[in-house]
Amino acid sequence: MKVGDLIGLALSRLGTGKLRTALTMLGVIIGVASVVALVSVAQGATAGISNQLQSLGTNLLTVSPGFTRTGATRGAIGSATTLTVDDANALASLDGVAVTAPELTTSKLVIAGSQNETARIIGTTPGYLTVFAYQMWVGSFLNAASVDHKLRVAVIGATTADNLSLTDASIGSTIYIGGLPFELIGITQPKGGSTTTDDQVMIPLSTAHELFIGSNSVSAIGLSATSQDEISTVSAEITATLEQRHGITNGVDDFTIANQAQLLGTVSSVSDVLTLLLAGIASISLLVGGIGIMNIMLVSVRERTREIGIRKAIGARGRDILSQFLVEALALSLAGGLIGIGVGVLASFVIGSYAGWGFIFSPLTVVIAVGFSLIVGIVFGVWPASQAARLDPVVALRYE
Amino acid sequence: MSAEPGEPIIRLEEINRIYDTGKVQVPALIDVNLDVANGEFLAIVGPSGSGKSTMMNILGCLDRPTSGLYILDGQPVDELDDDGLAFVRSRSIGFVFQSYNLLPRTSALDNVATPLMYQGVGRKERLRRAQAALERLGLGDRMHHEPSELSGGQQQRVGIARALVTEPALILADEPTGNLDSHSGAEVLDLFRDLHAIGRTIVLITHDVDVATAADRAVHLRDGQLQEAVPA
Repeated sequence: MKVGDLIGLALSRLGTGKLRTALTMLGVIIGVASVVALVSVAQGATAGISNQLQSLGTNLLTVSPGFTRTGATRGAIGSATTLTVDDANALASLDGVAVTAPELTTSKLVIAGSQNETARIIGTTPGYLTVFAYQMWVGSFLNAASVDHKLRVAVIGATTADNLSLTDASIGSTIYIGGLPFELIGITQPKGGSTTTDDQVMIPLSTAHELFIGSNSVSAIGLSATSQDEISTVSAEITATLEQRHGITNGVDDFTIANQAQLLGTVSSVSDVLTLLLAGIASISLLVGGIGIMNIMLVSVRERTREIGIRKAIGARGRDILSQFLVEALALSLAGGLIGIGVGVLASFVIGSYAGWGFIFSPLTVVIAVGFSLIVGIVFGVWPASQAARLDPVVALRYE
Repeated sequence: MSAEPGEPIIRLEEINRIYDTGKVQVPALIDVNLDVANGEFLAIVGPSGSGKSTMMNILGCLDRPTSGLYILDGQPVDELDDDGLAFVRSRSIGFVFQSYNLLPRTSALDNVATPLMYQGVGRKERLRRAQAALERLGLGDRMHHEPSELSGGQQQRVGIARALVTEPALILADEPTGNLDSHSGAEVLDLFRDLHAIGRTIVLITHDVDVATAADRAVHLRDGQLQEAVPA
């Protein structure tokens, strides 16, 4: 028999029982659609999280002080005040470090006109803008002169500006931080992600030291490596430099270094597991769909026993009958697979635009889904088809 | 592979068919010898239980004899495997059944064309030949009807067209008039006589002695044994 004849037979057969065909395909449609949609959702979520991580800063490394120890009680990371402005200056001169931004964080009441809020106050240097990937909306950021001369100037985040009803027209006005007057010189653009990154007030580091914290310590040092590849080298350099400066010889550091690559790595390994899990769940529905096909094919072989007998009497060989039923099963599963891809792509588009990470279309998923549905058709079609092929024509012709 | 003129188209020698049910062995055909000449119209007559169906299955290469020799159209077929038997059915035999056995939900044209599909004939060619066969049987205006839309007589004529379309060496008819009223039955027998007149070899299996009179020669099956003489 020719392949074209087989396909013709299968299509005309599926066309004669449209409701049954549709219901049989439904299992495969749901299976393939959920594989495509869930994998796409998992990839979209991963991409969304990665984007947010990227927005935290460019090739970012953050050095935090270690913990304090009060008797047997260990304090939180960052509770010690072992990092200083001098440490930051030393790190700035390392190879592979593009920009540094020491931070001194505190919390003060901020008043602007009739509005007020208790905001996070960050004393820092001009490098902060680059290291943490902020962009100015209006005005300008802190410059070297403002740090050198301990000027009372402030740049505020977009959320803070909203909370205090400050707009681009407010540049140059006076706001009060911890009761002291500051000139508002700029407002940053919102970064999105968590709202706290946009709810803060940045003032010169030297000003913060003089007015709010009477020491030389910093809460953290942000660094931007010259490239992604340099991050681990730079990290080692920082460790060596700080151990030397702090006189640490036993390897028990009084600081910790966190970098973006670690975070990204964690996120992508989590999302790989997530993708596998979702694909696994979806595959189960594909399996159930396949069993549905096998069920309907077995019923079909039983119902069409007499037809099989007739076909054998007029010259069909076992393998002709086998191919006929197998091609029917394949047509069912492939048609279901193709419709399923359509439904899955549509679903991932809707979910993607609703969740805000956009539409991620992965051709590989589609190829795998089509391959999967073909395998389902073969695996679950072969047994019923071979049952049909093995029927004794004498028995089949007498079957009522 | 075709039989020489004058050679028998069917030769059965000492054919036995024994059904083994596990506990008992039931003989359905016992030492059957039969020659059918090329172009002959033979009736095999017997009551139910006489082994008619078994005879039909063996002659039609749907079943194998337990022992004995069967030569069809010059080829021994008693020891062929399933595919070999399917090939012989496809090339050398045209079946006409009591209950027509047309494919349901399939047009008359496609029904008649189906045996050619299993021979590997291309679609255009087989539709052309199927159409010619249907027109020859006066069904030119019923080609696109499905079996459920045809009368019994029309369905049986579609069945005969399907048997003829491959130009087989042997037409094997199993109670072809059994489901028909006497008028349609007579028409079908006339058709067989016409086919016989143009040189077709026909074996007609029936329980009805009247139907058997349409044939040139009749043999009787009784309890699995063949008797050449026609009893009065």
